[in-house]
Amino acid sequence: MHVKQTYPSVKRGSKNRRQMLAVLRWPFLTVAAACLIVNAAIAGPFWGIIAVLVLYIVWRLILSPDLVEYNRMSQSIKIVAWVSILLALIDILLVHSFALFVIPIVCFSGLVVSIVLFFTDLRRQKHNMLPLILFEVVSMIGSGIVLCVWKDPNNWPYIVLLSLSVLSFLSKVIVLGRDFKIELERRFHIQ
Amino acid sequence: MKKTTKPEFPVFLQELTEQDCALVDAFFSEFDLYFLLSKAERKLFRLDFEAAIMLLYGQGVPMQEILSRLALSNLGGFYARPSTVWFPLDDAAKIYPISMEHGRQLVFRLAIYLKEDIIPELLQMALSFTVKRFPSFATTLKKGIFWHYLDAVKKHFPIEEEHDVPCQPIKVSLSGSQPFRLMYYKNRISAEFFHVLTDGTGALIFLKALVSEYLRLCGVTASKSDIWNVNDTPINEEFENAFVKVEKAETGSGFMDKPAAQMNGRMVRRKPCRLLHFKMDSAELYKTAKEHGGTVTAYLLMQMLYACQAATDELTGDIHIQVPVNMRKFYPSKTVRNFSMYCGVRVPIEEIGGKQELIANINAQLAEKSAKDKMREMITAAVNLVSSIRVIPLVIKQPIAKMVYGFLGEKIYTTTLSNLGVVNMPKEFDEHVIGMDFCLGAQMTNRLACTIITCSGISTFSISKMTDDPTFEEKMYQLLTNDGITVEVEGSEYYAR
Repeated sequence: MHVKQTYPSVKRGSKNRRQMLAVLRWPFLTVAAACLIVNAAIAGPFWGIIAVLVLYIVWRLILSPDLVEYNRMSQSIKIVAWVSILLALIDILLVHSFALFVIPIVCFSGLVVSIVLFFTDLRRQKHNMLPLILFEVVSMIGSGIVLCVWKDPNNWPYIVLLSLSVLSFLSKVIVLGRDFKIELERRFHIQ
Repeated sequence: MKKTTKPEFPVFLQELTEQDCALVDAFFSEFDLYFLLSKAERKLFRLDFEAAIMLLYGQGVPMQEILSRLALSNLGGFYARPSTVWFPLDDAAKIYPISMEHGRQLVFRLAIYLKEDIIPELLQMALSFTVKRFPSFATTLKKGIFWHYLDAVKKHFPIEEEHDVPCQPIKVSLSGSQPFRLMYYKNRISAEFFHVLTDGTGALIFLKALVSEYLRLCGVTASKSDIWNVNDTPINEEFENAFVKVEKAETGSGFMDKPAAQMNGRMVRRKPCRLLHFKMDSAELYKTAKEHGGTVTAYLLMQMLYACQAATDELTGDIHIQVPVNMRKFYPSKTVRNFSMYCGVRVPIEEIGGKQELIANINAQLAEKSAKDKMREMITAAVNLVSSIRVIPLVIKQPIAKMVYGFLGEKIYTTTLSNLGVVNMPKEFDEHVIGMDFCLGAQMTNRLACTIITCSGISTFSISKMTDDPTFEEKMYQLLTNDGITVEVEGSEYYAR
C-alpha cells in the first residue's frame, strides 16, 4: 500500500502540555508524598500540608492552567484566593494569629490590582468579570461578618476591604449598566 | 496569517492610474465605519484588504471589479456593532468542555481540495466575509456558574498555513480565542472545529459557504445552489438547540453499554499519529456495496469489522463500531449547532464470519438502532440528563462528568465510522473542486477513528490513527481492492516517529 504524502512535514520534538504534565506528574507526587512522610517522621508542626498546597498551587496556576477563561481577571483573583488560603493554613498550622489581619490586606490589595486590570481594558474584560464579581461578593460577606463579630480597633483592613468591594461592585453596575445584567444572565444561565 | 505586502500599498498606489487611485481612495474612505474594533484589529483588516487588492490587481483584474468583489458591504454591520449575542451550548455540546483536558479535546476536521493552490490573501478575505453569516462560529467559549456557553466575539479571525499535526486541540482559554481554525496547504483548505461549536453537517455548511465565497473572490460565481449566501441575514433557527424541539419519548435510553474489545497497538503520545485517506470512485464503491446487499455505510462497516478483527488479539468480546446519526433527517432543522446522535453496530468477534451473514446482521442492526424511535429515546435520555443536572454548579459536575466520560465515553466502542454523505457542489464549481476529506481527532482509548465523505465523484474513507500498528489500514486496503475497488491512498507521515 503506497501512501502519497499530502501533509506538510511536522517538526519533531515539539511536545504538548499533556505530555509535559504526564512527565511532571510523578516528580510532583513524589515530592508531595516525601514532604508528608518526612513531616510525619520528624513530627513537629504540619508544614508538610503547606508544602503540598504550594505544589498544588504551582500545578494549577503554572503547569496546568485553566482550559477555559485563562485571562487576567481569573488569574489575578485565583492568585489572591490561593495566597489567602495559604496564609490561613500557615496561621493555623505554623505561625499563629497574623492571618486575620494580613488576609484582608492581601485581599484588598489584590482587589485594587484586579480593578485596575479590569478598567484598563474594559471592552474585553467586561466579558471576564465573573471571578471579580464573585470575589467582591465573598469579600463583602466575609468582611461584613468579621466586622459584626470582631469589634477591634485593628479591624481597619476589613473596613477597607468592605468599602472597596462595595465601591468596585457598584462602579461596575453603574459603568456597564445593561451589559452588567446581561453578563450575569449569561453566567448564571441554566439552559 | 503571514503578510505578503510587498510592494507596500502606498508604493502600489503610486503605480496606479489616477482613476484607479481615486477608486481605491473612495473605497477606503468609509473603511473605519465598518469596524468598531481596536486600532490594532482595524489595521489587520486593512492589511488584508490591501493585500487582496494588490494580489487581484497583479492578476490583471480591473480595479472596479476588484473593489466590487471586495466591497465593504460584504462585511455587513458585523464588525461595526459591539458583541452582545451569546449562545447556550446545545445538549450534545455540553459534555465537550466539561470532559476536556490538556491535550484532550474533541476536534474534527473538514478539508476541501481545489484544482489550484490556495491564495491566502483571498482565503483570509473569504473568512472575514463568511464568519458574519455564522454568528455562533464567531464566538469564544466561556464558563458560567452552571454551564459553559459561547460568547460572541468581534475580531479579526486569522487563517494559518498548515504546519502542525492535524486535529490538535484548539486553544480556547484566552479572551476572544475562537473554537475553530482555518488553514491552507497547497490546494487544500482545512477547517478544524472544536465539537462544542458544531457537528459535521454544520461544519460542512460553513465550509461550503466559505469555499463559495473564496471562489467568488477568485472570480467564479455559482448561479443557484443550496450553499448559504454569506450576505443573508442569520435567523434564530440556524443556531437553535434543536434537541429540545424533539418530542420526548416515554423512556430515555441508549447511552449505557458494556465495554467493547479494543484493537491492539501501543497508543502514541501525539495523537493522531497519522491520517490516511482511501480515495475511491464513488460509483464503484456504491456498486460494490449494492452487490453485497448493503448501503455504502453498511459495506464499509462490514470491511471495518474484518479489519478490526485482524487488528486485535482478542478472541472473544464484541467489536462495537459507533455510527453517528444526523438527526436532521428525522427532524428537519436548519441548525448549524450539534444535532447528531449515534448508534452502534455490535458484533461478537467469534461471530464475524461470512460476508452475507455479516452484512445482513449490520443492515438489521442499523435499521433497528438508527430508527427514529431509538434516536428519540436517546435524545430524551440526553435532554433529561442535562435537565436533571442543570442547577448543579460546574465545579461539582465537572469532575464527576470527567470521570464518567473517562470510564464510559470511548470504552464501549472499538472505533467510529462517521459518514457525512454526498456533498453536492454547484456545477460552476466542478472545474475547481476536486474532492473533500473529513477526519476525527484524537481518541483516548480507541486506536483509530474512520470517516467517509463523497464529493466530486470521489469517496474518501479517512482513518485517524492513534497507534503505529498498520494492521487495520492494510487489511482495509486489501479487502477493498479484493472487491475490485481501485483505492488511491493519501495521507500524512507518522508523526510519532
